[in-house]
Amino acid sequence: MAESQIRIQLSTRYPDISLRENPGPIVVNTSLRRYALSTLVNTLLESEKPVPFEFLINGTFLRTSLDEYLTANGISSETTLAVEYVRAIIPPLYLASFEHDDWVCSVDVLSETSPAASGTGNAAFKPGQERIISGCYDGVLRVWNMSSEIIAIASTSREGGPISALKSVKFLSPTQIATCGMDRVIRMWDYTEDAENLTASLTPRLELYGHRNVIASVAVHQPSSRILSASWDHTVGIWSSKASDAPPAPGELLPSHRGSKRHKSEPSINPQRGPLAILRSHTAAVTDTIFTPNDHTVAYSVSQDHTLKTWDIPTSTCVDTRSTTAVLNATVSMPALNLVAVGGTARNVTLIDPRDSATSVSAMTLRGHKGWVWSLASDPDSAYGLVSGSADGTCRVWDVRSSTTDKSGKVGTSVYSIERESAKGETLRREGGDGVQVFGVCWDQKVGIVSASEDKRVQINRGQGIFGGNPV
Amino acid sequence: NIDPESLLPKLPSPEDLRPFPTMCATKFLGHAGRVRSLAIDPTGNWLASGGDDGTVRVWELGSGHQVWSVRLEKTEAVNVVRWRPGTDAIILSAAAGEDVYLMSPQIANLTPEVAAKSREVADAGWGYAANDVKSKTRKEAVTQWVRPGSRLEGEGVLVRFGLRKTVKVISWHRRGEYFATVSPQGQTSAVAIHTLSKHLTQLPFRKLKGPAQSVQFHPSKPIFFVATQRMIRSYDLSKQELLKIIQPGARWISSFDVHPGGDNLVVSSYDKRLLWHDLELSVRPYKTLRYHKKAIRAVKFHQGGLPLFADASDDGSLQIFHGKVVEDMMENASIVPLKVLRGHQIKKELGVLDLDWHPREPWCVSAGADGTCRLWT
Ligand SMILES: [Mg+2]
Repeated sequence: MAESQIRIQLSTRYPDISLRENPGPIVVNTSLRRYALSTLVNTLLESEKPVPFEFLINGTFLRTSLDEYLTANGISSETTLAVEYVRAIIPPLYLASFEHDDWVCSVDVLSETSPAASGTGNAAFKPGQERIISGCYDGVLRVWNMSSEIIAIASTSREGGPISALKSVKFLSPTQIATCGMDRVIRMWDYTEDAENLTASLTPRLELYGHRNVIASVAVHQPSSRILSASWDHTVGIWSSKASDAPPAPGELLPSHRGSKRHKSEPSINPQRGPLAILRSHTAAVTDTIFTPNDHTVAYSVSQDHTLKTWDIPTSTCVDTRSTTAVLNATVSMPALNLVAVGGTARNVTLIDPRDSATSVSAMTLRGHKGWVWSLASDPDSAYGLVSGSADGTCRVWDVRSSTTDKSGKVGTSVYSIERESAKGETLRREGGDGVQVFGVCWDQKVGIVSASEDKRVQINRGQGIFGGNPV
Repeated sequence: NIDPESLLPKLPSPEDLRPFPTMCATKFLGHAGRVRSLAIDPTGNWLASGGDDGTVRVWELGSGHQVWSVRLEKTEAVNVVRWRPGTDAIILSAAAGEDVYLMSPQIANLTPEVAAKSREVADAGWGYAANDVKSKTRKEAVTQWVRPGSRLEGEGVLVRFGLRKTVKVISWHRRGEYFATVSPQGQTSAVAIHTLSKHLTQLPFRKLKGPAQSVQFHPSKPIFFVATQRMIRSYDLSKQELLKIIQPGARWISSFDVHPGGDNLVVSSYDKRLLWHDLELSVRPYKTLRYHKKAIRAVKFHQGGLPLFADASDDGSLQIFHGKVVEDMMENASIVPLKVLRGHQIKKELGVLDLDWHPREPWCVSAGADGTCRLWT
């Protein structure tokens, strides 16, 4: 039987792996799969060390032979098939773990490629001085260098007081950190390193009062000095990181309020301020909030009320509500695709188009987690990538181009799953509470995927040359 | 030839009755010894538990992290924990041995305002107690409500009072002003009703036939249900009269719950049966459900609008049911078994000792003799 053939036109958007001369349409056997195509491109590139490639046809990764693809999509082998190639994601490698005294809720990274270092008007970031901050259930903020050393530490818990777990920690700039958690306070810290960058100090600068329950998340936008907060009191807060711009703190919420005689505290020496606005519309705990990456006047929030809401910050109004079927815990924006990813107790990640013109609620569902999704972060190298941290003890890396379609619509499967190093080699399925839930995840181009877990560790994994460079 | 089975109405498939809990999402580890009781707070974010180690603990529901604990007793088990309804004040009630405690756990929604309101609600009765003494009713007083001592006060415990026998059940009226307790060994003082704002304890049921097992307030009417070993009696609280004697036919009732609509109740028994009663239909069970190999210890309806109920058994499992009450008087409730939840270890013949539902979500929690609590979603 004669093997059928097809013409393919190869292309890539990554300059470092593009072919020097356009070879034009190439005739190949339709029996070829990803691996054979990858070998072909490496031959054309005359690569000394073969690079594994993935192939995109009509925006979806090739997961079958070309023949099966043509049949499944009803495409004639007479056509010239446009085939885009990208570097395959290399499994992120385990690099290090930072040990804590209690479960770790949240992490953030400061590097030359992190958002906080690209802010203006602050001390420039020194390459090679990457830092990781962690927020822990013991109420302690820790600053780590890449040698697993704590170089600064600050506690927010009071002796005999309630638990003050730090639910969210964020670098606002290389010298400022915002934290929040179970004590209902957003704290701004000044962060300064000594001349040799061996030790550093954390100085409380501002305390923001206005929420009446756990503050689950803060988002920061350094150029506008704006902070967003998501609280279990059903509201989203808008705040200024500058004490001079902020209204007075609501007296009834301060620890010195007459009602709180059980834990009398000294009058705080830090300035205490209140919110610029409190946004009401959610009907249950708000669990996460973000600025849209390209427009800091628009915010998203997700809630235990199952909804994703879009907010216009200058007018403090809710401009859109999208309902899902379950409690939501986390959100991240995918601006190039006009999508917002949300994750929660349905154990999946749902991609939502929040624009008015969108007709369906869910554009795509990413499936594979066996526990609640606690945290989401976008891929710094790819507009199509994101990572999710789950109660099942894994971080899953997704590329939305890796998808299939079933009766419920477009379904994505993860390209890689990162296990906890602390549970390595165990075959027993872990359930929530068995010690490995991932509560927080951050993905930095330079540092890698940094995750915070119930195993009392921050774990760092790095994929070498994931997608390599920026597309043009 | 007609197959008689084909004439029976078909039960809907569990798949079509989603959502309901199907798997363990979180385990709560920390109690030493059996967990006897647990309850989710009115906001749905905190779980309270109590057990043989004499402690009451509060956990973050989603993560399973413990956020607060207090040791009430060194030698007695905490047999029951129940939150007072409402979110204006935060009051958790618990019983250890013969003592009942009201406390304000240090959780994140206990703002200075809410803390003050909580103390106000718990303290309102001190003045009344003083009047009580003057009006010479003190010799009739069943018990004295007191401050629990400086150690416990420092931990957030607001009030304590003692009853004559071990308290096994606490049940709150929906408005948070009254709660009832049951001391099964207490004979004429087995059932007590407490008025929070007056720190007043009364014993309205002096002549119960058989040891009391459990009590419930009707969700909307001034009706009170009292379960003894074999019967459940309903009383009109305003007229002080017996309304009905419900006869489940069980040899030993362990627990029961009233449907939020008020016209149906479900009864669990140590003799492995679950009995659904339609109070408008009959004093006999409308349906008998046998799904467990061992005693059933607890049964609860979802209170947040989902047609779900569940029971907990010494065989180590929970059984989740669909239970839809039909508004039409001519039609009966539809009851469909949905899912068996397994995971708790059986310890010394004991399995799952208590359960509760989330106020909104199709989630339940269970207390195990294995020392763990679990969240099922
Ligand atoms: Mg009926």
